Amino acid sequence: MIASLRADGLKMRKRWATWIMAGIFLAWLVLLVYVLLFYIVKSQPASLRGSEVPAAVLKRQLFPENLIPTVLSTAASIGAAIMIIYGALGTASEYGWSTVQTILIQKPGRTAVLAGKWLALGVATVLISLAAMAVAALCAYVVVSIDGSSSSWPAATELAKGFGALVLQLAVWAAFGAFLGIAFRSTAAAIGGGLVYLFVGEVLLGSLFRGATVIKDVLKYLPGINATGLDSAFHLSYRNPGAQAPLVDATHGLITLLVYLAAFIILSLVIFRQRDVGGG
Amino acid sequence: MGQSFAVETHGLSKRYATGVLAVSNLDLRVRTGEVYGFLGPNGAGKTTTLRMLSGLLRPSAGTATVAGGVPGSPSSLAQLGAMVETPAFYPYLSGRDNLRVMARYAGVSTSRIEPVLTQVDMSDRARHKFKTYSTGMKQRLGVASALLKDPQLLILDEPTSGLDPQGTVEMRELIKNLRSGGRTVLLSSHLLNEVELTCDRVGVIAKGSLVAEGTVEELRARSGGRALLVRASPTDQARRLLESLLKPEQVQLRDGLFSLTIDPSQAAAINRRLVADGLDVSELRVAEQSLEDVFLQLTEKPPPQPSPQVGGN
Repeated sequence: MIASLRADGLKMRKRWATWIMAGIFLAWLVLLVYVLLFYIVKSQPASLRGSEVPAAVLKRQLFPENLIPTVLSTAASIGAAIMIIYGALGTASEYGWSTVQTILIQKPGRTAVLAGKWLALGVATVLISLAAMAVAALCAYVVVSIDGSSSSWPAATELAKGFGALVLQLAVWAAFGAFLGIAFRSTAAAIGGGLVYLFVGEVLLGSLFRGATVIKDVLKYLPGINATGLDSAFHLSYRNPGAQAPLVDATHGLITLLVYLAAFIILSLVIFRQRDVGGG
Repeated sequence: MGQSFAVETHGLSKRYATGVLAVSNLDLRVRTGEVYGFLGPNGAGKTTTLRMLSGLLRPSAGTATVAGGVPGSPSSLAQLGAMVETPAFYPYLSGRDNLRVMARYAGVSTSRIEPVLTQVDMSDRARHKFKTYSTGMKQRLGVASALLKDPQLLILDEPTSGLDPQGTVEMRELIKNLRSGGRTVLLSSHLLNEVELTCDRVGVIAKGSLVAEGTVEELRARSGGRALLVRASPTDQARRLLESLLKPEQVQLRDGLFSLTIDPSQAAAINRRLVADGLDVSELRVAEQSLEDVFLQLTEKPPPQPSPQVGGN
């Protein structure tokens, strides 16, 4: 398993797509969250003047006191999409290039090969989460300094919990992508399927049919909804009347996400171990 | 002392989900230390068999032992180096980095990389990305990867496929050298010349079944062995005489040349009879039956049986 982890680590490190995916996530966080929002609240356009949350309060979302909810909300959207693509690339490419057969005729068994891949994806997820937190913290520091306001950093325990929540939800999406990659054996199908599920299945249908009781009961068990539930444990420092109440609480979210993570790993392993490679 | 086998299969079969029976009841024995040629036309089941021996495909029936273990088990894979079908590597990595990845998977020291690159004559191009390689370079990197573990058994599937004549000759020499140190090589091919020049023994597979096995000489002998070729005129008179001397099935006429399936030591006697009967003998020679003839004989479809005539005798 360690041999497979080292091999997968080398592949990931040398692959441009790895760095591009992480770069897009971080650039989005910096440019479309911190820079854009700060510019908007500072310029105070007419559309913002009648807002329920005044610009002077809204800008506090960018301050250190709201570091965790800001990073988590970014992770729930673009972070999820990036990690689905990342996970799908990690597994489906092996089928696209037929390298899966070259790997499987080396020494380790199939379980060890896949375990190494999961570990490598896990390490990458932790590193991306660390980078996101660090970049967001730097942005928050710059924003509060430019604004000349005062703000406090979250407590260490809060930071640790927030980091754990971030890693967990990104890991679930990466595992989802990796599972689709193994199931479909096609990068395009895995990425397409994953993104359609995320943006059409969860976001669009979830917001359109949230009021229907039956749909609501189903939504409570979807990974995106549960990630939002987990994120609700980390409140903004101000009240946002326009925000929707989460469908599930943080504990429900935590347990459901852990179940999803385990399910994706086990299902992938079952498929990977049983299925023929090549031929027919 | 019993013969030891690097590969041994009993009743090995593979039926795909599509219903196609690719390999049927295959009993294969590759002796330790030999170069074994696995010969068959395209679609005969060679690659499917090699995939089963490498643990990539699960057999539908039968058993196999490869390098002393169950195919695909870590103990078997530790002794096996294989290149099955097209060499598959990471296009964005250099040849050397691809071997580093495979060395890590195999748990072998990266110090093995340079020797195997030298062995396949790829040291100069190892820093370039795999996606820039020609077919020949990809084949050689595939062999280098198979050699990383310094395995006791090498499985090479069509190793000269796509190579130019120079590359084919180099690959053939490489394969001959690989057998040193008691290594077993199982080589699949549909190129008869390649197998004839490289292999100690040959197994011929057709439609998923092993139809013959032995040395090239044994296969030739089994299919008629050598023949006496005679050109004599007038042809009709020569045919009548030869058919009176021999059994009809021993005499075949093709393009004015008689092919006589007899012991070549009878050449002088045949010549005397033809001349004594006033025939002109312009050619008389012994011909080795080519492996191609043997191969075609073993793998060709049987001629369609004539349908019984209604009301016939």
